[in-house]
Amino acid sequence: MIEFDLPFILQCAKFLLAFVPLCFIPILIWGERRGASLIQDRLGPNRANIPLLGGLRLFGLVQNAPDGIKLFTKESFIPKHAHKFWYIVAPMIPLCIAFLTPSVIPWFAPMAVEGAKGIANVSGQILDADAGVLVLFALSGLSVYGVVLGAWASNSKYALMGGMRASAMMISYEVSMGLSVAGIFLIVGSFSLTNIVEWQAAHVWGIVAQPLGFVMFLTSLFAETGRAPFDVAEGDSEIVAGYFLEYSAIRFGLYYMGEYAHIAIASALVSTVFLGGYHMPWLGTEVIRANLGLVGGGLLAAIALLCIWIAYASNRWSNIYAKMNATDAAQRKLEYRVMTGLFSGLAVLLLVAGSALALFVHPQQVSVGGTEIWPLWVNLGTAAIQLGIVVAKTLFICWVFIWVRWTLPRFRYDQVMGLGWKILLNIALVNLLVTAVVAKLVKG
Amino acid sequence: MKVITPSGEKIDLLTVNIGPSHPATHGALRAFVALDGETVAAAAQEIGYLHRGFEKMVEQGTYQQVLPYTDRLNYCSAILNNIGFCLAAEQMFEIEVPERCQTLRVLLSELSRLIDHLVCVAAAAVDLGALTNYWYLFNPREEVYGIWEKLSGARLTNTFSRIGGLYRDTYEGFETDVANVLVSIEAGLDDAFKLLEHNRIFIERTRGVCPMTPDAAVAWGWTGPCLRATGVDRDLRKDDPYLGYDTYDFQTVVGTTGDTYDRLLVRMYEMKESLSICRQALKRLRPGRVNTSDPRLILPGHDKAYHDMEALINHFKLVFEGVRPPAGEFYSGTEAANGELGFFVVSDGTGKPWKIKVRPPCFTQFAAYADLIEGGMVADSIACLSSINIIAGELDR
Repeated sequence: MIEFDLPFILQCAKFLLAFVPLCFIPILIWGERRGASLIQDRLGPNRANIPLLGGLRLFGLVQNAPDGIKLFTKESFIPKHAHKFWYIVAPMIPLCIAFLTPSVIPWFAPMAVEGAKGIANVSGQILDADAGVLVLFALSGLSVYGVVLGAWASNSKYALMGGMRASAMMISYEVSMGLSVAGIFLIVGSFSLTNIVEWQAAHVWGIVAQPLGFVMFLTSLFAETGRAPFDVAEGDSEIVAGYFLEYSAIRFGLYYMGEYAHIAIASALVSTVFLGGYHMPWLGTEVIRANLGLVGGGLLAAIALLCIWIAYASNRWSNIYAKMNATDAAQRKLEYRVMTGLFSGLAVLLLVAGSALALFVHPQQVSVGGTEIWPLWVNLGTAAIQLGIVVAKTLFICWVFIWVRWTLPRFRYDQVMGLGWKILLNIALVNLLVTAVVAKLVKG
Repeated sequence: MKVITPSGEKIDLLTVNIGPSHPATHGALRAFVALDGETVAAAAQEIGYLHRGFEKMVEQGTYQQVLPYTDRLNYCSAILNNIGFCLAAEQMFEIEVPERCQTLRVLLSELSRLIDHLVCVAAAAVDLGALTNYWYLFNPREEVYGIWEKLSGARLTNTFSRIGGLYRDTYEGFETDVANVLVSIEAGLDDAFKLLEHNRIFIERTRGVCPMTPDAAVAWGWTGPCLRATGVDRDLRKDDPYLGYDTYDFQTVVGTTGDTYDRLLVRMYEMKESLSICRQALKRLRPGRVNTSDPRLILPGHDKAYHDMEALINHFKLVFEGVRPPAGEFYSGTEAANGELGFFVVSDGTGKPWKIKVRPPCFTQFAAYADLIEGGMVADSIACLSSINIIAGELDR
């Protein structure tokens, strides 16, 4: 019989973390559009709004809803010449894998909780496997099947070319991707991502220990996710849209979302392996737990400051619209009034909550069978803060993805292969060798 | 698919149509390619998807009625075509337009050349995946269209030039508008230069891609920026000056290898020269007539037509019969944005042209397209197509 004790319940609750990369999808789509318009000196999405809430547009974030509705309600056309079964199955693969891959990423530090069989250690990752990051590599390598099968099943020449390019590229970059992080594994001596983060917390971040590895890993991930400048598999000006050329409606949407989920996971991986994961300098796990009230309050205050800034900007815009002679000036004015109210209210709430936290929350350790452990609420609070840290770092790397996409031209197919095999692989091998020698000398 | 090579060998190649409906064939062009993997083993191009019978249509109307049709040749720089045809017609009448008209024509020509090159470079950058350049280059282009709108009432098909002058004089504040737009074009161009000129990926994608030798370029009949990119210093503005181009201080931009990189860079540097010509023309702009006073070409004013019998007859004849050049054969070539835009006009002395043959610069460039892309990769063929800047309206007429 299964015992429903605390560690088991926590273990089950952790499965919710599989949805974290999914939550990134709408944010990333919005970020891509706003980021592109910011870089390209244009407005970006600014039409879709919620009519009942004073035409609230939330800086274009609302655009995702009509997009989703459109993709779901459009006719999902299957071309006559396509292989029906694989045509339907293929787009599901990348998104399914996007659910599986985050299982090994630690979102918070391991916590000790009291269970039926004494103190149990609950780690911050869903799957605490010894193979660790290898599981992630293996799973994300599978997503190429979605691309290749979809391309082949479409039975279209352009799609086939896209599929060929994608498969060749992903296979080549798996090699340099694996080798470029191998240095970190050598230094840490473990594949488990929790161990890697703990090592970074104890010593230095991976980006300092392996700067070359970081650059190569990021480059390989650009290729792995098929993002610009490595988007030869899509190559919209050359092979029209590449592998998803024949796909429409939500089947195209699945590829689209799969790509963004892939970016989110890749960014989470980079921030875990090279940017310290859930660790922040001077904010180690024990520090957060001991000063949970202060840290949490500070964090809330920081978010409140952001809200105040948004409220201030909204107020400024509502004043601008009040003077403007635009056709929808009244509506826009109302919208920014609503935004100002919403965000200043939020800021006040956060500030109150933050001060309450800082003033009244002073966690104490409790003794369980002679061992001092933190109470569950402290652990959960710390986990929430650390999840926030990982998400913040991941968002930053995601922005780098967007930034690069709108800055660089696309590589040619053979140049991509050349870069992967002739340059990255060699540098990665040399890096690995040097790291091995140094690690041996230092560790003995 | 089995393909038989010229030597009789049967090999397996993938045949693909690039166009006529393809994101990179701006307009409607078609290249039929046989691919060996990603390499273009053989190619053939086809034209005619946008053929509207320009040369036959213009025989139906008077010489003035040709002008709106010329807008539809290279629609990216309609004013250059207008002026090209007007120069051909004025050559038949052996007249010179007034000073102000000449300066304005130079100014408008160079602005048109600027927006044409902006389109070409922006589209080429998009085809290479560098999407951001598009906005940096198209935003100032949009401002030029604002000027066109104020000037002629139309954005794309301006028909601003007339035989013997211009549609009308400029509006108040034109000079300031032009000066402002030159600044923003320069800013956008500088941004694009920063993003592209020394960008390693851009260089790798374009340098050595689909090169053209000077001899072959001349043999194909190439003109304009594409010819200059191969190293042949030929620019009608310098070699056969018209509109007083010889009095302006500018350089012809010449490339070395004739590859895609050179073709694009020649266009980008030419824009800098055009900016300089525009500024010089702006300085020279003096008040004055914009139309010649030749009664063979210009309608008499209302004051004369209503009170003077001869003027009324002149008005009637000009409207109903059109301008009547002397009989004979005439050719006039101007340096349009893509190269030499020639009008060969055969006149039988009546008000309607007997035959007008257009020499579009795109035609010869697209003729060489298959030769250029054979042996390259698919992505190269796209980069090459956007760098030779094929405008279907001009190509197919």
